[in-house]
Amino acid sequence: MKKSLIPILGVTLLVSGCGASFPVPTQKLADAESANRSARELGAEKKTAAQLNLKLADEEIEAAKAQIKAGDNRRADFILLRAKADAELALALAREHDAKEETVKAVDSSNAKQNANANGAK
Amino acid sequence: MMNFQKIRTGLVGAAILTTAACSSMVPPNELVTARSNYARASQGSATRLAPADLDNAKKALDRAEASFKEEGDTAETKDISYAAARQAEIAESHARAMEANQLKDTTNASTRANEVNQAQVTSAELAKTKSQLATQGQALATERERREEADRRAAQAAADLAKFASVKQDPVRGMVITLSGGVLFESAKWLLLPTAQTKLNEVAEALTKQDKDSTIVVEGHTDSQGAAQMNQDLSQKRAEAVRTYLVSRGIAADRITATGFGPSRSIADNASPEGRANNRRVEIVVKQKP
Repeated sequence: MKKSLIPILGVTLLVSGCGASFPVPTQKLADAESANRSARELGAEKKTAAQLNLKLADEEIEAAKAQIKAGDNRRADFILLRAKADAELALALAREHDAKEETVKAVDSSNAKQNANANGAK
Repeated sequence: MMNFQKIRTGLVGAAILTTAACSSMVPPNELVTARSNYARASQGSATRLAPADLDNAKKALDRAEASFKEEGDTAETKDISYAAARQAEIAESHARAMEANQLKDTTNASTRANEVNQAQVTSAELAKTKSQLATQGQALATERERREEADRRAAQAAADLAKFASVKQDPVRGMVITLSGGVLFESAKWLLLPTAQTKLNEVAEALTKQDKDSTIVVEGHTDSQGAAQMNQDLSQKRAEAVRTYLVSRGIAADRITATGFGPSRSIADNASPEGRANNRRVEIVVKQKP
């Protein structure tokens, strides 16, 4: 009985040792939160195309924090990979939305001026 | 019995190994999506407009492929693949934003060019209008000077004529110079007296000072004594005699006409000798160009 417990104990120690040795992904967490903040500052919350990815990033950051709290830094590290990617995509989609909106305004303004000139020339 | 158990164990083991091997060959959905997203992005405008982002997406996909190859369908492979799929989407989004910005810049440049062009057209039209106004102003000034000069000449001519003839300004007919018939002709004749020529010389000189565009009508008038037809003929011949003389003194023939009115336009009572003398007259009517 004692002989059979030794390998189990060894494996347990090895596994717990590996988990403990994986550092807390502080930098990745900061990067994900920074990208998330930037997307929010650009109004991603109010832009339909970016809303989903911002929400996913929020949830993934929370999930990563829960894993860190539970001691599984390695799992948190990979979840933060998703979180950062979603936050950056939300940021990109928010920028794209703004660029398209400004373009529409420029085209509308141009058309209005052309119409005004055409009417003035009549 | 023992052999059967060994065979069964072996078969179960082989089945487990086969399943494990097959499952490791099937990529997770996240990796499939990442591959698809990257393929789409690499065929679109991202290659031209967002090459750095596309390169990041490629590296992320390579990491996902490596993880799948080494680790199989693990949670980590799925995470790496998920991030790779997002990287491709980021590259596409950046490219679309760049396209929008380029369209905006082109539109703004076109609008500015149109505004500049419009301003140039407006400026040219303004310059043209100014030029037209200046030309019109010059023409008006010239016309005003011409009229002032004509008025001065007319005033001078009237002043000269007033020395020996009755000169009146009629608002409808123009300037009317009245010469007594007795001064110009013998009774019932239409040949000019020598003294008449002297006076008509002065009339002709005064008329040459008039505006060259003015018209002149020589009107012959008689009293009512005698036959009406004879008076009509006499007045016509006297008017023509005066006209002919004035033309000979330099008045342009196309400016001057002659008309006889007989006794029809009396200005005094034909019952008295004095009235009849006033009715026997020649009127020279000078009408300015309107």
